[in-house]
Amino acid sequence: MSLESIGTDWAWVIPALSASAFLVVVLFGRYLPGQGAFVSVSAVLLGFVLFGFVLADLLENGSSVFSFDWLVVGATSITWGVIVDPLSVTMLGLVTFVALLVQVYSLEYMKGESRFGWYFAAHSLFVTAMLVLVLADNLIFLYAAWELVGLGSYLLIGFWYDKRPAAEAAKKAFVTTRIGDVGLLIGIILLYKATGTFEISALFHSVEAGLESGLVSQTIVNVAMFLIFLGAMGKSAQFPFHVWLPDAMEGPTPVSALIHAATMVAAGVFLVARLMPLFEMAPDVLLIVAAVGLFTFVFAGTIALVMRDLKRALAYSTISHLGLMMLSLGAAGVGAAMFHLVAHGLSKALLFLGAGSVTHGTDKKGIWDMGGLRHKMPITTVTFLIGAASLAGIVPLSGFFSKDEVLLAVLDNRSPVFLVLALAGVALSALYIGRVAFVVFFGTPSEASRDAHESPWLMTGPLVILAIGAAVAGVLVFEMGGSYGGFGDFVASEGGFHVEWWLTGVALALAVAGVLTAWLTYGSGTISHSRLAGRYPAVHGLLVNKFYVDEAYQWAIDRVVLAFSRFVALFDRIVVNDTGVDGSAMTVILSALRLRHLQSGRMYNYGMAMALGVIGLTLVWWLKP
Amino acid sequence: MIELGHFQVLSAALFAIGLYGVLARKSAVLILMSIELMLNAVNLNLIGFAAFVDFSEAQRALGQVIVIFVITVAAAELALAVAIILRLYRNRSTVNMDEIDIMKW
Repeated sequence: MSLESIGTDWAWVIPALSASAFLVVVLFGRYLPGQGAFVSVSAVLLGFVLFGFVLADLLENGSSVFSFDWLVVGATSITWGVIVDPLSVTMLGLVTFVALLVQVYSLEYMKGESRFGWYFAAHSLFVTAMLVLVLADNLIFLYAAWELVGLGSYLLIGFWYDKRPAAEAAKKAFVTTRIGDVGLLIGIILLYKATGTFEISALFHSVEAGLESGLVSQTIVNVAMFLIFLGAMGKSAQFPFHVWLPDAMEGPTPVSALIHAATMVAAGVFLVARLMPLFEMAPDVLLIVAAVGLFTFVFAGTIALVMRDLKRALAYSTISHLGLMMLSLGAAGVGAAMFHLVAHGLSKALLFLGAGSVTHGTDKKGIWDMGGLRHKMPITTVTFLIGAASLAGIVPLSGFFSKDEVLLAVLDNRSPVFLVLALAGVALSALYIGRVAFVVFFGTPSEASRDAHESPWLMTGPLVILAIGAAVAGVLVFEMGGSYGGFGDFVASEGGFHVEWWLTGVALALAVAGVLTAWLTYGSGTISHSRLAGRYPAVHGLLVNKFYVDEAYQWAIDRVVLAFSRFVALFDRIVVNDTGVDGSAMTVILSALRLRHLQSGRMYNYGMAMALGVIGLTLVWWLKP
Repeated sequence: MIELGHFQVLSAALFAIGLYGVLARKSAVLILMSIELMLNAVNLNLIGFAAFVDFSEAQRALGQVIVIFVITVAAAELALAVAIILRLYRNRSTVNMDEIDIMKW
């Protein structure tokens, strides 16, 4: 077998490798050196290499689907297969690349943990689930992987489960995303009821044909797609399901990097991108997608402005940018959304790993406890700044190109209101990420940062690689000859690269203005942020308290859910337990107490009863007509 | 001339006497004797039917076989019952059925 024969039909091997790594580490990890971490790392490394072959074959020979019947029930067959198309291969690359670097980084970051092997096993499980999710060719398979992703995130966020906040955060992430997942499941079932198939490509055709012939009503499609979008909102932390993501910061930092960049939150965006033809058949839902994305983009951006915890500030930034991706999808810009997913994934993984490196060096989490780290941690500083600049959308880093693509899609397909608010969000992004970068790495060194030290090469290495990735990934947007006509064309056949100079100029100017404002406020101190907060205490309080969303949920749970639960409990006690169960038992006891006197114990009473019975029976037999 | 009706009347009378004995007597021994009386009333009835009704040979034979069978069972039952009464007397020093009322809750 030669290397050339490895092509798109090998795509399924990539998740299979991670899955076997999970099994090996879980079952035999304790007998292996380093608790088997190297098994996980090499599995994902091999997966990344395979991705290269798959990509090469894809560019040469185009997409392909492999599937076989898994379950046949009546006329329905549920298949078990993979779609290898530009969309899934893009995700394959992103997931394996980021997971590889995060795992290498974790080798150092998690050193000394007693459950070191389990950490890597859970990592492998998480990656497997995500890879299966992107490759799945039918919704049932996809849903199974979707739930496995939820499980993986639960295990990893709650890795330090003996810490109460971590355990709570893991639970919160699981439960919050579950609410959306229920919607997803119902949506899938609705689509199945309407068309009789779970297969994604078949769904596209049958829904379209059904809508034309009137067999499938527009309402059903709208409802189904909205419910599916609910699932995507949960996983991708869109308002109002965003509350789990900042709490997920309780997990180990590399886990945050993985969740925020390549897995979990990307799943929702990917789902909408994968089902885009269906969403386009429900234009109203697509408008909701855009609106939710836009709102989340601006909403989370404002919160990120005031977060004092480094990782939480980054978490709200992630929510914000996921909103931007949803906005792009809502504007039918699949290519732009996926491009932003990749660019943001690389930048955000870089930022989180950088944040982990900072925490590793200073043992602090709050940004005001850091400060002036640029002298002590030069590599972390430079790479973090590259990531931040990319996120802010500074030319020529990847974030600049992807943001531009998204704005173009919004300009083409949505009203100017969307564009204006999106531009405001762009400025916000630059402002908050500039704030984080300037406060942490510039300014006067704090107590903690005086003893800071640069992290070992196993941690800085991935940082450097990711920084290079985040810096140069922007070139993917251009046509590169062969069958590759720019990223948008590659992923979604949206035509080659084009540019609207005034929009690019405005976006860049806003980004630069945002960074400059951040510098004036948090770098040089020309603008006093504390005086600003003092002048508008209401606004500041609102932001610091994250718009009281958590409190609102807590209130709703206390007042509505728990009140209803108490009512149900009361009903159970009074009607089911006291009346139903205890009541019937009491009836038996009471009647027995009365009736037991029939049993006299005297033999002739029984004999008399027998004789009378016989006589009675005889009379009945004799007198019967 | 003795007819089937005489057998039946005698049998019914014996059975009623036996039933009365079972229900009304207090001594376990007398109850046992009354049970024997009831069994033999049934035997008499069976024999009467076998002798007078216009049955086939096989059916007549069957009636007589049942009578012998009942006599056999009655003998076995009597042996067992007397043994029970003896044990009862040993344990409770009485065979008066009024005092033996433990067959209840």
